[in-house]
Amino acid sequence: MAKRSTVIAITVAAAVVIVGAVGAGVAVLGSRDTGGAAGAKGDTTVTVRVWDEQVASAYEQSFQAFEDKNPDIDVKLTVVPWADYWTKLRTDVAGKSAADIFWVNNSYFADYADNGDLLDIDKTLGSDAKSAWAPSVVKQFTRNGSLWGVPQLSDAGIAVYYNKALLKDAGIDPASLENLTWSPDASADTFVPVLQKLTKDAAGHTADDADFDPASVTQYGYNAGNDLQAIYINYIGSNGGTYQDGDRFTFANPKTVEAFQYLVDLMNTYHVAPSAADTNQNGDFSRDQFIQGKMALFQSGLYNLKNVADGADFDWGVASIPAGPEGRVSVTNGIVAAGNAATEHPEATKKVLEWMGSAEGNEFVGASGAAVPAVTDAQPVYRSYWENQGVDTSKFFDVLKNGTIPAPQGANFGAAFGAYGPILEDVFAGRVPVAEGLQKAQDAANAALDG
Amino acid sequence: MKWTRTLLVYLVLLTGAALTLAPFVLSVMTAFKTPEQFARRSSLSWPDPVTLENFGVLLTGRTEFGRAIVITVLAALLLVAGQLLFSIMAAYAFARMRFPGRDALFWVYLSTLMIPAIVLVIPLYLMMAQLGLRNTFWGLVLPFAFASPYATFLLREYFRGIPQDLVDAARLDGANALDVLVEVVVPLSRPIIATVTLITVVSQWNSFLWPRVITTGNDWRPITVATASLQSQYNGNWTLVMAATTLAVVPLLALFLVFQKQIVRSIAITGFK
Repeated sequence: MAKRSTVIAITVAAAVVIVGAVGAGVAVLGSRDTGGAAGAKGDTTVTVRVWDEQVASAYEQSFQAFEDKNPDIDVKLTVVPWADYWTKLRTDVAGKSAADIFWVNNSYFADYADNGDLLDIDKTLGSDAKSAWAPSVVKQFTRNGSLWGVPQLSDAGIAVYYNKALLKDAGIDPASLENLTWSPDASADTFVPVLQKLTKDAAGHTADDADFDPASVTQYGYNAGNDLQAIYINYIGSNGGTYQDGDRFTFANPKTVEAFQYLVDLMNTYHVAPSAADTNQNGDFSRDQFIQGKMALFQSGLYNLKNVADGADFDWGVASIPAGPEGRVSVTNGIVAAGNAATEHPEATKKVLEWMGSAEGNEFVGASGAAVPAVTDAQPVYRSYWENQGVDTSKFFDVLKNGTIPAPQGANFGAAFGAYGPILEDVFAGRVPVAEGLQKAQDAANAALDG
Repeated sequence: MKWTRTLLVYLVLLTGAALTLAPFVLSVMTAFKTPEQFARRSSLSWPDPVTLENFGVLLTGRTEFGRAIVITVLAALLLVAGQLLFSIMAAYAFARMRFPGRDALFWVYLSTLMIPAIVLVIPLYLMMAQLGLRNTFWGLVLPFAFASPYATFLLREYFRGIPQDLVDAARLDGANALDVLVEVVVPLSRPIIATVTLITVVSQWNSFLWPRVITTGNDWRPITVATASLQSQYNGNWTLVMAATTLAVVPLLALFLVFQKQIVRSIAITGFK
């Protein structure tokens, strides 16, 4: 039975080699978890979790500078992609294994604040600390009298990117875009006629021509559609409507209904925007059309500035959003770094939060033009980056002076959004009358809030 | 009329081939495009200029795709070794050993195949969390490192086809159960073992749900999760995603080219003709 021992020996040897190789590989890959070469024994590791790769690159430089000043603290940064971020955060907070510091946005922070999962920034860093931060962001993240995170990014407001060549072809002076007014009352509206001139079908007829064929549009005027941040919440605001009252949803507010009716008409009656079939599920559709030179006006925020600047190979500019009956009202949104109330290193976490809230620590975010810093003294870095690129970002900031509508907020927002989202898709697609659909959306969203 | 029939058959086959291959061609094409070209021109346009930028970003950037590939390979190695070892022993017991309740036990074991994997995610997650294995390599592989019902079933059916005379002859020569397994059954079962190996490698290579649940961030995620993570809140990053899928498919293609014969035979064995 010599053969038997060989076979067994080979099997055992193979098993040992495989397990050994895998074990060694895992050990090598795992070595960086313990702090790696950078940290000596006894150092405190503070973990930070964010969802954006571009900002993460900036943070890495920022934390490097922090570690140079605080050699006894290691900061470990993890990026969890947006698609998973909120589900992961929920399970990790529940399992007490969340990072010491993590990003939260306006829509989701209330749950965690109400449950006592977040450090009260007023108590941790002192209530004077907030004077250094963008007031709009501080206001957004103040709930029940306390601030629940250190402001990191600010979206500023919404504006309109325009394609200079397409405007010129239609005989529209870019400066005139500043005077446009939209209104549910057709006689007061100056926006639709401009959009009609900017929309063309395959035969070259513009949308105000009797021969215009809405089935073969080759150039869109505008990106009206199912886009909360860039489109509909601003229309609600500039018509004097409301999106929420406290945490409750108020889609059936008559002013809100008018705003939606106007947008749905732009899409389904005037055909100056892509159809809901294209845009309901694909948030990038309109941006891609604009970058491909097939859309004249693209309303969006600074979050798309880098995409437009990198992507568009034509001359473009930025104009203000059209004024509504209540003037120009834009949403503004911020992101904060929240401290985990269950952190095992409260002192070190406090130091990192302080650093992230300082102009010096926050400036890295604006230096590459990726995002607007929320520390007021760090903001000029962002503006000058874009000025050097020949882009004037002032329209995004100026719009906030006319008043803002609060961004979505509240406990259980995620569930409410999941409930009303599909109903709004039906509204934009014209499958449900606007008023009826919005009533349904409101009921569904509020029912979801109640769990 | 024979040639018209041939023509028709080829037409159908060509259409089928085109439908199957087109997505791969499109993804490889996109992988070599600049993001600017992808945004500006038709997605069917030829890469111009051809760029390796996407692969560079993937392998050297914050995504750490190279790390994800290494993790995937290590996990596949361990799972193949574990699954083969335990499935072969279990299958032998179910096929050739006699003990009370053997068949009942086998059918109960096999019936776990009917439970959708998604139902097991939460209990498994809680178990791993209790063991402190969240976001570790072992948390990623342990739940699947032992025998799988499907592999055991395939092997058992094959082992049952081996003539009892051979086993009896070995027994007469003084061989015990382990000797029979190692010297008679396993050498005769190479085709099915190759099949099980391939099935395990492919299913591990493509597994997504469990790794996505158990890992966080770059530390231990395999290629599937790393690929999905390339998409951010405001940007689809399609050129990067396609570069990632192109890289992910290369090892499997290589495996297929090397083991073509065995794969075709294994498909015949499993009956999916």
